[in-house]
Amino acid sequence: MAWNIVRALTAWRESQQSMKCPWEERDYLVLDIETSGLDAKQDQIVSVGWVCIHHGVIELDSARHIVLENADIGHSVGIHMITDADVLEHGKKQQSVLRYLRHLLRHRILVMHHAPLELSFLKQVWQTEKLPSFSIRWLDTLAIERAKAARSQQPIQEGGFRLGACRERYGLPEYQGHDALTDALATAELLLAQIAYQGKECRLHDLNQMGGGRVTLSTR
Amino acid sequence: MAAIDIPEVHKFIETIPPFASLSLAERKQMLTGVSMLYVRQGQTLALKDEAATVHLIRRGACEIRTPKGGLVDQIADGECFGVSSVLAQNPDGLQVVAMEDSLVYRFEKIHFIEMLKKNDAFGLFFEHTQHHRLRKLSRSQSNELATPALQLSTPVANIMTRQLVLASPEESVQTIAIRMTEARVSSILVVENERLLGIVTDRDLRSRILALGGSSSALVRDTMTADPVSLLPTALVMQAQTLMSESNIHHLPIVDEDQHAVGMLTAADLLRHQELSPLLLINQIHRQQSISRLAQVCKQWPTLIINLIVTDMKPADVGNVLATISDNLTRRVIELALEQVGPAPMDFQFMVFGSQARRDQSLGSDQDNGLMLEREPTTEESTYFAALSECICQGLAQCGIRLCPGNIMASNPEWRRTQSGWQQAFSNWVKSSAPSALLHASIFFDIRCVYGNNEPVDQLIKGLQLEISKNSVFLATLTRSALVTKPPLGFFRHFLLESSGEHKNQLDLKHQGLALINDLARLYGLSCRTYRAGTLGRIEQAIREKLISVDTGRNLIDAWDSLNGLRLEAQSRHWQATGSASAYLDPKALSPLERKHLKSTFGIISDVQDVAQQRFLRGYS
Repeated sequence: MAWNIVRALTAWRESQQSMKCPWEERDYLVLDIETSGLDAKQDQIVSVGWVCIHHGVIELDSARHIVLENADIGHSVGIHMITDADVLEHGKKQQSVLRYLRHLLRHRILVMHHAPLELSFLKQVWQTEKLPSFSIRWLDTLAIERAKAARSQQPIQEGGFRLGACRERYGLPEYQGHDALTDALATAELLLAQIAYQGKECRLHDLNQMGGGRVTLSTR
Repeated sequence: MAAIDIPEVHKFIETIPPFASLSLAERKQMLTGVSMLYVRQGQTLALKDEAATVHLIRRGACEIRTPKGGLVDQIADGECFGVSSVLAQNPDGLQVVAMEDSLVYRFEKIHFIEMLKKNDAFGLFFEHTQHHRLRKLSRSQSNELATPALQLSTPVANIMTRQLVLASPEESVQTIAIRMTEARVSSILVVENERLLGIVTDRDLRSRILALGGSSSALVRDTMTADPVSLLPTALVMQAQTLMSESNIHHLPIVDEDQHAVGMLTAADLLRHQELSPLLLINQIHRQQSISRLAQVCKQWPTLIINLIVTDMKPADVGNVLATISDNLTRRVIELALEQVGPAPMDFQFMVFGSQARRDQSLGSDQDNGLMLEREPTTEESTYFAALSECICQGLAQCGIRLCPGNIMASNPEWRRTQSGWQQAFSNWVKSSAPSALLHASIFFDIRCVYGNNEPVDQLIKGLQLEISKNSVFLATLTRSALVTKPPLGFFRHFLLESSGEHKNQLDLKHQGLALINDLARLYGLSCRTYRAGTLGRIEQAIREKLISVDTGRNLIDAWDSLNGLRLEAQSRHWQATGSASAYLDPKALSPLERKHLKSTFGIISDVQDVAQQRFLRGYS
């Protein structure tokens, strides 16, 4: 028991230390999830896309786009243009994809645009798939953007926090596609731009304060 | 690592030369190991370590600079940098500075090198890019050496004013105030037996006379600052600058060893010296009260032009800046001539022709101009205009715009006409197809009004367009003459160059290249509904009016731009070396790739000549 507390404390201190390091010394996985709807209890994950950031640059080789097997996509085709044919061709078992993701996330910080939605789906599937629980740090580019706007007291219009609108403020190109992979890449670029605007010595701690946190994914 | 399959990345890369020419498999190979970075505006990327590789700008703009800050190139979306760091380990220590926030793809060096070996077109493209930058690099380095030497270590004698405004100590302050106003100066030197005794400035008159309710008959001796701070003419600009700022003065008398006043240096002189800008030159032009002073100011002109060229301004912009300066100069010369000869007995327009009208003057351009008179002059009025024109043309010549060897100048009575007189002349040239008429057409049909109400000139141009539109024979004749000279395409095979005289074995960029494009542009321009005087304007107008296809037109514009760039460069090189501006190019000075490029430029001219022949000569040849 006491031993567990010591170990937890050590882990906590290490994690606090790592928060003080420059942001580029940590690795990140930028994730986007396409779902059949907005309710994690009822709807399902259709596809996932991600790309990793290492040494402060986006590594395009790390990009993945996976359509999940058996996903019921009937009525949501309009949103992300995934067809049954895509599922047949590229479909993967949800559990194996999530295990792979878990493996990647063990040494990486999870980055999303609008974290609450993706996190609620991740929590839900962790329970249904009975995956081993684990704890991760996350950053939300939307929350970071909102914190920046609040700090500079610049009112941002309705819809101004959407991914495309945020990107436009940093001079990032407009992307036509809106599949999980394109949005993950778009979010990763947005994160780099936000960090560049933070100035030279941006630490993970600073980003976390603006829009980040820790979440435990567990079966219970 | 798996090959990258991100649609947005492929969609971008496949539109960008030279990646567009790669096969899908090759492109995928190139994309292996690519990373993306975001560079903040103003941030510098040193091309070393992991950054010593090729980068492609996805979105944004960057400058490539030497370690000392000299500009080598400016690039934007879809352009690459870092090529030299791969090919030659970046021997020049080039840096990349983001001018805008930029999103950049960074390629993996090994894949890039592999592709260079594998795909010839790909390799050639980058070789060309790199060569182009090396050329700019050598220019920006010589430029770096020249600039500081020009500034602070110059002796003050080079920039001081030698025309001194002097006073004697026994004069009244009112007398000298009048003299200062007339001379437009803000200070006056007080001398006795030629020796400097003191100085009186505007500020002294204000604070020592006006503010104290002093009398206008007060003596200079009692008002001046005695024994003012002064410098020898051999002192350096840097010393003058330091002295003036330490003693908080704006006027510095320059004296020789015997205390004789020889010059005056003001804070404004220093400022002018430091930055030679087109705006400042125009400003100075308008302030000069005599043609000889104006000529003095215009001595800076060649230096200014060379500065514009070495700072890599676009040729069309160089032309526009020079046209603005020469227009202002022409107007000022006319104003001064009017002061000298007296007011004109009637309205008149001063028109410019040829290169000034087209806005593509360069170093050593000569004048082509004429007058349009409101009505037929009496004998007396004729004499007046003869004197006025003589005064203007000589004045321009003194200011560095050479007299026209063909005597196409307002000083020639032939080129002082009423509106209908000009119309008559134009009409005769259009109707006649004699060689002399065509020669005149090629000069006079590029026309712009720079002084006076331009309405009559516009009417003249309208009449000309109308006349030409009714006369397809004239266009055919003009076409034939535009096609007489062919671009020296054979040049590269057997060096078919000017075969005699000083420029033996050299290529005449002006007459064998640019003039051909000017002729073609004039041909198309004159058959447009809307008149334009400039070559690029004419080609653009012809594209707009669909007389020429967009592709052909744009190619011709590119050809003009690149020839003009070469010409300006050649001229500024000659000017710096010999003091004369020759547009001859020694082919040995070109690399094989530049020769190839020049050859394709001449190819474009030749193609457009064929197109023009089809359009204007069908049924006539």
